[in-house]
Amino acid sequence: MNGFLGYVNGSSPLHNLHPLTKMIMSVALCAPCFLSGNHLLILGIIALNLCLFASAGGAGRAITTLLSFVKFSAVLFVLQVLFIRDGTPIFTLPPGIVVTREGVMFSLLFVLRFMASTMPLALMLSVTPVGDISNVLVRNLRIPYKYAFVITTAVRFIPLFSEEMLGIMEAQTARGVEFDTKNFIKKIRLLVPLCVPLLVSSVRKIENSAISAELRGFNLRTRLSGYKQYSFGANDVLVIAACAAIIAFSASGILP
Amino acid sequence: MIKTAGLCFRYAGGGRNALSDIDLEINDGDFFGIIGSSGAGKSTLTYALNGLVPHHFRGDFAGEVTVNGLDTRRSAPEALARHVGSVFQDIDSQMLASVVEDEILFGLENFAIPREEIERRVEDSLASTGISELRRRSVSSLSGGQKQKVAIAAIVALRPAIVVLDEPTGELDPQSSRRVFEILKDLNEDHGVTIVLVEQKIMLLCEFAKRLAVMGSGSLILSGPVKDVLSHAEELEEAGVNIPRVAALARRLEERGLYQGDVPLDIGRARIMIEGILCDASF
Amino acid sequence: MLRFEEVCFGYGRENTISGASFEIGDGEFVALLGENGAGKSTLLRLCNGLLKPTSGRVTVRGHDTATIKTSAIASFTGFLFQNPDRQICQNTVYGEIMFGLEYVVPDELERRGRAEEMLGLFSLDGRRDPFGMSRGERQQTALAAILARRPKLLLLDEPTTGLDYRECMTIMGIVSNLNAEGTTVFMISHDMEVVADFARRALVLSGGRLIGDGRVRQIMKDAALLREASLLPAQIPALAMSLGNGFSDAFTVDEMVESVERALLRRACGARAQ
Repeated sequence: MNGFLGYVNGSSPLHNLHPLTKMIMSVALCAPCFLSGNHLLILGIIALNLCLFASAGGAGRAITTLLSFVKFSAVLFVLQVLFIRDGTPIFTLPPGIVVTREGVMFSLLFVLRFMASTMPLALMLSVTPVGDISNVLVRNLRIPYKYAFVITTAVRFIPLFSEEMLGIMEAQTARGVEFDTKNFIKKIRLLVPLCVPLLVSSVRKIENSAISAELRGFNLRTRLSGYKQYSFGANDVLVIAACAAIIAFSASGILP
Repeated sequence: MIKTAGLCFRYAGGGRNALSDIDLEINDGDFFGIIGSSGAGKSTLTYALNGLVPHHFRGDFAGEVTVNGLDTRRSAPEALARHVGSVFQDIDSQMLASVVEDEILFGLENFAIPREEIERRVEDSLASTGISELRRRSVSSLSGGQKQKVAIAAIVALRPAIVVLDEPTGELDPQSSRRVFEILKDLNEDHGVTIVLVEQKIMLLCEFAKRLAVMGSGSLILSGPVKDVLSHAEELEEAGVNIPRVAALARRLEERGLYQGDVPLDIGRARIMIEGILCDASF
Repeated sequence: MLRFEEVCFGYGRENTISGASFEIGDGEFVALLGENGAGKSTLLRLCNGLLKPTSGRVTVRGHDTATIKTSAIASFTGFLFQNPDRQICQNTVYGEIMFGLEYVVPDELERRGRAEEMLGLFSLDGRRDPFGMSRGERQQTALAAILARRPKLLLLDEPTTGLDYRECMTIMGIVSNLNAEGTTVFMISHDMEVVADFARRALVLSGGRLIGDGRVRQIMKDAALLREASLLPAQIPALAMSLGNGFSDAFTVDEMVESVERALLRRACGARAQ
């Protein structure tokens, strides 16, 4: 409902992990996609992501997210397949475009990697409030607060901006701009003038945010300002161990 | 206590004074409403009270503003923020965290409130705005009215003596607006917080504010107890401010020689007014 | 002009609008009332096809919104959103009005004529940059761009929110004049004084259901209905109801003054008779 990059209330085991553990987990789930070229392993990682989403009470959302990825990936896949000419031909399309076995396999790997490597980030953001992320970035990873704030603000603003963009498109459709056209290029062309209202409203929102932060002592904040204490528990140890195992397994080359 | 003397301000690059010659005194414990047409300088006046003018918005500044004895020109907005809390109209962009609790913590952490006190402040501020049950909720799952209460709670947690609000109910429906006003009334009466409030909703202002200021093109046109201000119908009309229908009714009855007395500010008192007229006629 | 037949709409499993049926005739001025979350904005978006019903049928001027393109419905409807900034995308007021006309008026001269007419009607300076204007002026610019297209049906989503009294009266005055000339108006408003002053009929929405439909004068005095929808009546009707006997017909300040005078007269006669 609030875009796919927002925090979802909950108190699942995943929610209760140390924020740092969740960040490590998200990296560890991403890594195998690049360490290994095995289709099955990456499919496994996607399945694992889905299970984790489900355990955090976000199964429905995970599936919608995945479906939107699948749609996007399908386009990517077709493009890739059409452009790769090397390898064993499977069949030839009418204008003389050759579809090869290698092309299909490579493109499949490409989109699987794309999906598997994006999901852990979405997963992490849905079970971790951005405030927690920024707290551990500042305290444990010693990133200056200003940079952490930029990251968390960006994450927080994405759903606001996408809502704004939808609102703008709605307003333009209502005055006869043909956003309901099937022609993709035309749609893009129609979108261009709308960058102006989006930009204006974004600048306004950011300015307001800056004022609000300034008046609540943003400039006084130090590394140790964070109030919340996060403690590592048995679950954290387990998860980190599992992460290490996943990385080791995928890097070992046991799988072809 | 807020005091402005000969306050003038012109935004850098602005063609005319956004504020001209404002002399204002707002006492501790007041519930002070500010109304006026758009572009009258209401927001700029709130910026002058919380130090955003001249520290954040640059321009030509003349005169003096003191808040609890601090000269706003010499105090950084952060220092002033300990005395004056600010709430804005745009609800989403003033939220800085994704969970209600973190939103409240933000200011408390920055101002280095002692650890042992933080928990109590979070609880108190949530309780005094009536949103204790929202503590663990994600901000994006809240309604507009709830979000605005969170914004107020985040400011109240810092325990400022004065809270300045710039059209806090601008995006809310009548019921949620009324609830926000009720919270402000409780803060004002039970906790002695001074409320300074810019608002277009004249009926709510009349019901809740103690004193009212009317602004027009950068100047203070009228200022005083609500009833007194409402009796200046011509100045109000010129400033583009309407009066509540019951006040308009009282004026019409007065013109006809049927009524003399205080301007009623709500339906209850308007009813007393009419019953009074009928009762007098029976004798 | 507009017809809803057993319309349901839901974003997820639950219906935001359930079983709405009503009809709005040509030239009516109808207000849509209800608290936040009652489904008002959703219902208004169903009127011009921005949302399509999940079941039931919406027809505008005989066109089923499910089968005609939304951009085609836009050629005879105008929709003013609560936030004008979502609409305005040109850097002059004149440009903004012209942009909206591009899709409906092929003739350049005709377009210019219409834009000039709107600038006059709203007393706006066409050369100004909308982004530097006040909220009320931007709202007027947005409305001017919509009205230049001469919609037969005008849908307004809280047109006066965030405006000062004068701006509110300018906008409502123009809308009211257009209505007198035959434009059908369907408006969401939280401001019961605006509703009392301008609308003639009101639909009341609560929890996605239509629970009231009638003349504004009657709706404002239906205490039970208003309570069910969490609404408060405008001040004078509320005062009239609280005074009861002999006053309950008063709806405007003038009528209330008259009622008081009549009551005084009755008392005087009563006293003389004694």
